[in-house]
Amino acid sequence: MLPFTVVLKSGLPVYEQVLYAAKKAALTGQLRAGDPFPSVRTLCQELRINPNAAHKVVTALIDEGLLEVRSGIGTVVAQAPAATREQRRQLLEADVERLVVEARTMGLEVDDVLHAVRAHWQRLGRTRR
Amino acid sequence: MSAAIETHRLSKRFGSTEAVRDLTFMVPEGSIFALLGPNGSGKTTTIKTLMNILEPSAGQARVLGTDSRRLGPREFARIGYISENQELPEWMTVRELVAYCRPMYPGWDDAFASQLQRQFDLPPDRALKRLSRGMKLKAALLSSLAYRPRLLVLDEPFSGLDAVVREEFVRGILEMSERQGWTLFVSSHDIDEVERLADHVGVVSEGRLQMVQPLAALQARVRRIEATVDPGFGRPASLPASWMGFEVAGARARFVETDYRTETSEALARQVLGVSGVVSVEPLSLREIFLALAPTYRLPT
Repeated sequence: MLPFTVVLKSGLPVYEQVLYAAKKAALTGQLRAGDPFPSVRTLCQELRINPNAAHKVVTALIDEGLLEVRSGIGTVVAQAPAATREQRRQLLEADVERLVVEARTMGLEVDDVLHAVRAHWQRLGRTRR
Repeated sequence: MSAAIETHRLSKRFGSTEAVRDLTFMVPEGSIFALLGPNGSGKTTTIKTLMNILEPSAGQARVLGTDSRRLGPREFARIGYISENQELPEWMTVRELVAYCRPMYPGWDDAFASQLQRQFDLPPDRALKRLSRGMKLKAALLSSLAYRPRLLVLDEPFSGLDAVVREEFVRGILEMSERQGWTLFVSSHDIDEVERLADHVGVVSEGRLQMVQPLAALQARVRRIEATVDPGFGRPASLPASWMGFEVAGARARFVETDYRTETSEALARQVLGVSGVVSVEPLSLREIFLALAPTYRLPT
């Protein structure tokens, strides 16, 4: 089993989808510093994906400082600097796009969407406290 | 980038029938290349020609640098091949099959063979003829992987396998992933299985190569675009050549852009349709891409 969640969809490059899922897991704390990260072999076998894609994912995560290589152990999740607000916001991009597309399909204006988001936000805020 | 397989105008005719014609393609070393097409489109003939079981009528193929017509035992020690109707010595047990194959390959890896046997749950003392089709295929895969070939060629490996065995089979193949420069050439009509696995795809139909592309390039190039159009919108007399399957229903126009560019495609849509808004731009699955690129192409099922 992989220590983070990936649901692969058709049509998008596998590499992008897995990279996105791993980053999200690292930035939101689903993956914790020091946790071992799956090897290329485990990644491609668990997801039944192209090994070159799996290799690219691991390389990209190392380049971005989210993983580090420890000799004898393999790759582990790096002690990431707390994700900046901007990095966390970027993770929402795909969801925002979907929301906007849906809203436009329904002929809504941006204010309708903002209003709905605000209302929902406040509702959640109340229940949490 | 060096080629694991390279063909130039490869053709094979049987009497007056041209089974494959003028196939020119390159399989980069280290890639997973999927040859897709319906049954009878020439996939098996292509593979048999590559494996020197058939001689080309014209053109040529080079496999791991050697002309396909000169492939012999020395080359086959570095090539794994499982044919569509793989025949195994049915009277042997799994253990006997392993013992039988082992001396033929200098690169045979005993530890890897045992690992695969456990992983595949293959009973060592059961005769092959008493194994299910899935089990037999796994035994064939074991005997083709254990010598760690540089090139693995699989002809329709997924047909007739249930989902569980198919998954085991793919995981077995991916045991090879640690080896650098290892190449897989797989023919299939199972587009969905191949979509995750392949990084290059070729499509054959009626013996001709319809298209050959890196999968990522294909995925990046094709988008389904939907836009709202004004009431009473008339279909433009001419549409951009890269638009496929244009249709209008009510206030909605939809088409597949086969040359998508982030900067220009949406603007082009607005200009051509004279409209308000592009509502959505969605990627397509490999299956949908095929349908869009070749509406007349009989899609493998």
